[in-house]
Amino acid sequence: MLHTDIVDSKVKKLSLIDAEKFIASNDFGASLIFSGTVRSQNNNKSVLGITYDSHDTLVIKSFEEIYNEAEQKLNIKNKSVFIEHAKGYLNLGEISIIIAVACIHRDEAYVLSRYIIEEIKKRSPIWKKEHYTNNQSDWLKGNPIVNEKN
Amino acid sequence: MKVKIELFGAARDFSDQSLLELDLGQKTTIKDIRNKIIQYVDQKFYGNENYIKIINSSAFCSEKNNIVSDNYKITNNEKIGIIPPIGGG
Repeated sequence: MLHTDIVDSKVKKLSLIDAEKFIASNDFGASLIFSGTVRSQNNNKSVLGITYDSHDTLVIKSFEEIYNEAEQKLNIKNKSVFIEHAKGYLNLGEISIIIAVACIHRDEAYVLSRYIIEEIKKRSPIWKKEHYTNNQSDWLKGNPIVNEKN
Repeated sequence: MKVKIELFGAARDFSDQSLLELDLGQKTTIKDIRNKIIQYVDQKFYGNENYIKIINSSAFCSEKNNIVSDNYKITNNEKIGIIPPIGGG
C-alpha cells in the first residue's frame, strides 16, 4: 500500500497523525515514522525559513518508482508506505517531509525508511531556497538528478 | 519553432515568469536548448557564471514527464522542464 502527495503549505500542513493512521495495520509488527523539519542553522547561516519548489508529477513518479523498487532491490514485499513532501514556504520547525513505513519486522522497516529518504535525495526533483535573518535568500546547491533508468 | 521552458528551483531566477519562450530552428534537441538558455542568460545577466553552471549541470524533462538526454528531439510547441541540481527532504 502506498500513499504519496505534494502538499502546498498554503493549503495544508503535513500531519504525523495522517501518516500514522495510513500505515496502521495488524498485519505489521514494525512501524517507523521519519520526519524532516526546517532547522535554524545551515552552513553557518541563521535560517528563518525555507521555500520548497517541486516538479510535482516527476516527484510523485519518483516516489512510486522507489516504492516499487523496494520489492526487487530490498526484497520487502509486504509493506505500507506513506510519503508526503511539502512545497511552498515553511517556518522553522515545520515538517517538510514525512516517510512512514510499516513492515512485518523491524529490520525491514529501518532498511526501507532509510532507502526511501536516500533515494528521494538523489532522484526527486525538489529544491530548497533558504531565507536568512539578514534578509538574504539562496537556492541550495543540490546535486544533479540521478535518473534510475539511465 | 517555439519551445517553452518551464523553470524550477534555482532556474526560476532566470525570469520573473515561470516559463521562458525560446525561438529555435527545426530539428532542435535538448543540447540546442541548453546552449540557447546559456546564450539567453549570458545576454540578460552579463555572463553570470553561477547561472551558466546551473544550466550545464541541469537535466531536462519532456512534456510526457520523462528525464531526457541531450539527443532528445523536441516537437513543435513542446513544453520542456529544466531540472537544476536537486536537494529535497
